[in-house]
Amino acid sequence: MARIYQIPSHARGWLTLAIVAASLPQLWGGPLWQAGLLAVVLGWRALMDRQRLILPGRILRLVLLVTTVAATFYSFGRLHGPEAGTALITSLFALKYLELVSKRDAYVLIVLGYFVCATILLFHRGPAMALYVIGCLILLTASLAGINYSDTHARRRQHLSVAAVMVLQALPLAIALFVLVPRIAPLWNMQLDSGQARTGMSDSMSPGQVSRLTESSELAFRVQFEGEPPPPRERYWRGLTYSYFDGTTWRQASPPGWDREQLFYGGRGPSPDWYRVLINAAGDRTGYRYRVIMEPSRQRWLYALAVPFTDFDGNALARDFRLVADGPVNGAFSYSVRSVDVTGAVPALGDAERRLMLDLPEQGNAEARALAQRWRQRHRDDRALVDAALRYFREQPFFYTLEPPRIAGDTVDQFLFGTRQGFCEHYASSFTFLMRAAGIPARVVAGYQGGEMNAGDYLQVRQYDAHAWAEVWLPGQGWVQVDPTAAVAPERVELGLRGAFENAADGAGGDFDGLNRLPVLFQLQQWADYVDFNWQKWVLGYRQQSQRDLLERLLGAVTPLRVGLALLTVVLVFSAVLGVLVLSRRRDTPASPLEREFARLHRALAQRGLRAPATVSAAQLEAAVTRRWPSAAGAAGHWRRLFEHLAYRDQGSPGAADLAALRRRRRAVLASLASPRRAK
Amino acid sequence: MLKQAWQRWLDRRLPRARQVQLDQRRIFIFPTGYGFLYLLVSVLLFFGGINYENNLILGLCFLMVSLFLVAILHTFRNLSGLSLRAGASRSGFVGGQGSVEVVLIAQRRPHRALWLRWLDQPAQEISVEPGEESALWLNLPLSRRGRTRPPRLRVESRYPLGLLRSWSLVSLDQVCLAWPRPQESQDCPADGGDRERQVASAGQSGSEEFQGLRGYVPGDSLAQVDWKGYARGRGLNVKLFEEPASGRLWLRYDRLEGLPVERRLSILCFWVQRLSRENRPFALALPGAELPPGQGEEQRLRALNLLARHGDTEAH
Repeated sequence: MARIYQIPSHARGWLTLAIVAASLPQLWGGPLWQAGLLAVVLGWRALMDRQRLILPGRILRLVLLVTTVAATFYSFGRLHGPEAGTALITSLFALKYLELVSKRDAYVLIVLGYFVCATILLFHRGPAMALYVIGCLILLTASLAGINYSDTHARRRQHLSVAAVMVLQALPLAIALFVLVPRIAPLWNMQLDSGQARTGMSDSMSPGQVSRLTESSELAFRVQFEGEPPPPRERYWRGLTYSYFDGTTWRQASPPGWDREQLFYGGRGPSPDWYRVLINAAGDRTGYRYRVIMEPSRQRWLYALAVPFTDFDGNALARDFRLVADGPVNGAFSYSVRSVDVTGAVPALGDAERRLMLDLPEQGNAEARALAQRWRQRHRDDRALVDAALRYFREQPFFYTLEPPRIAGDTVDQFLFGTRQGFCEHYASSFTFLMRAAGIPARVVAGYQGGEMNAGDYLQVRQYDAHAWAEVWLPGQGWVQVDPTAAVAPERVELGLRGAFENAADGAGGDFDGLNRLPVLFQLQQWADYVDFNWQKWVLGYRQQSQRDLLERLLGAVTPLRVGLALLTVVLVFSAVLGVLVLSRRRDTPASPLEREFARLHRALAQRGLRAPATVSAAQLEAAVTRRWPSAAGAAGHWRRLFEHLAYRDQGSPGAADLAALRRRRRAVLASLASPRRAK
Repeated sequence: MLKQAWQRWLDRRLPRARQVQLDQRRIFIFPTGYGFLYLLVSVLLFFGGINYENNLILGLCFLMVSLFLVAILHTFRNLSGLSLRAGASRSGFVGGQGSVEVVLIAQRRPHRALWLRWLDQPAQEISVEPGEESALWLNLPLSRRGRTRPPRLRVESRYPLGLLRSWSLVSLDQVCLAWPRPQESQDCPADGGDRERQVASAGQSGSEEFQGLRGYVPGDSLAQVDWKGYARGRGLNVKLFEEPASGRLWLRYDRLEGLPVERRLSILCFWVQRLSRENRPFALALPGAELPPGQGEEQRLRALNLLARHGDTEAH
């Protein structure tokens, strides 16, 4: 059976390259058999194109397809979902290439290629990968240009330059569309449930949990302040509060019977009492204004300084002064916050809430309870009791360490009276226990503390900045933040974790080699992070709110009419400018390098007063030069002979060396024109 | 009705001419099926980007959409500036095919992967580089005798990306002559000058004037070789005929009285063909037109053209 290959051979190379390039990111992280499949397909295809093998029959192709689907199911446990789907589409992409015969097949392949490109961006969001995908798009476009130009004389490189020019021409409009096209809320919920474990806070805290985070220098979030950021010791990024303690683990809890409305306010509907109290207390005080750009955490907790007020763009405020996202933070997510200190004007503590904040297990940790009772007897005032507890931590031989000894059973007693070596969660946990035992409502707060300024522009908060501290309820003051760790290791709060352990050269902090970076590398890392930050902020994080802000600045007001008009104007202006550019005569002037050389001499002679018609031949030009400047006859003859040799010989277009020689002879001609004048 | 209005509009917009240069008034452009599929993919990516809240996928979608807009300009440019000139034409018999030559001239930019076709004929592909001229012969079915104007020529291109099709319907001022379809007849409607004469059939044609044989000389018409004698072993000889009294046969339209016009012309055509094949000189007399005696290919074409043009009011 004769097969007619409708794909010209000069196009096939680009198609192959496009397939490999678009599949690579998936193959890199995907199961090995996928790379094997592509290799087999490419090999088979190469042999087919050399007539060594025939196209696999229908049955073999069906077997391959079924095997691929089965292998995908085996590797991912399912066929739907972004990861399995991506793997499947990448494999189908390869299989389709195997049976590429007609032009229609090529079109199907290229359409699949666009989807594969999109799936790359589903999992890789860096600026480098975005550039890579643009490269893939150029390759796909080059393949399109190739299959639509079935002339056998077409040259391979031609397709690539056509594609590159077109994609580059398309970029400005794409950027304008990116800025202007309104972002709408997701139509239906598609969560990227990748099962990828992320380091970060969890919804419970037991000994050792936070210290594990300190091994990671992964970015947690970035903060950009409007105006001065707070000093390091005040940078307490609250994320969660733990109110229930079972003897080992602290968990989130709310008073029994409370519903969502009493706990959260998302900006919709009538505001609950507690929110009204808070917002009235905040008044129009500025506090700190900033924007937080989250890294994907797969959790809903957001981080902010107390007490955060937002515009409720995708988040809600919880009664315990923290922000909660409407859904897990899987992609770029950012939010604006105004944090105001409202100490003293907080909603009253209800009975149910008070009970929860005093709740302790029935038994256990007897020594700690006894200590708390002794403090209570000595200090009637809650504030004084808190100070006594902090003094206790400061004066007793407590050590701040990243690698505390393991403890089990009555963890509080063992830590307070036994090991006395702990990380922030040990201090926060035992302090809160002591407060509750002494009858002061208290809770543990988890989040991050500190952050590093990059280029004086924004703050980077990394996983090793994870921290836990406590809050106690003092009559007349409300919830007051207390950090027992600061009592033990003030440098942790002043200098951050790295500073704390760099200062403590006694090795108490274990090895921090990963963090002690070379200055140059550190600088490079900071620059890279700066690029990444702006990418996060302006590209990935460009969403409804930031779009509204930017458009308000650009257009004055954001109305559908204005945005529509702006879009229309941009498209029209773009088309007009590009139309002039693409269709103008000048750009289309066909000129080989040789013709351009000729034109240069022609122009140069015209500048010196020799007006020759545009259609003059090389010999006529030589004659004209010789007539006018007899001294230049030799040089002109030299030039003419080389020009004619290059123009009329059979060996194709002249190379760079030939052109350079011609250029030298042109200069010699012009020089010999000038010299007699100089002699005069 | 609609079709007529469309034709009238086309005739106004793209009048018949010897040479046509394609410009924005003459080029139409519309997405291809693949172009629509491409846009559909962009829309799907848009919803994917929205739903996964992925700005990069949205960016890819916007890049694809603006690439489509850029492709409009490039596809248009591929036709714009192309000149088409009416070239030569080859006549043919009614029921057969004639062909006309179309010359494509690229002035300042390349025009690639152009498809030229009319009616339901398969398209021919051609590319023209700047400063070049390329010619293409297009077949034209001939259904009616006389001057046949080719229908509008469709010049189409999907280059560079196949997302859009730009085309023009060019009407070149070009004529292809359709000769009458030869119709066999026993009686030759001819007379030799003043004397009437019957020429019955090829075997005996001109038997009265048969003069004898002479040796074959390269260049002699093979139709005049005495094949029967050659078969009998008498060597390769050529039959010699005597020129008729007045020197020629006059094929006369008037001698076919009582027959419809087209039939008369077909019969005349048959005899023109036959006499030419036998390399015999003849002359042709039609009402209002006469072809002086002559012989050979030139004479045959002149006679056929004269027959084709019979009754043509706008004859040259």
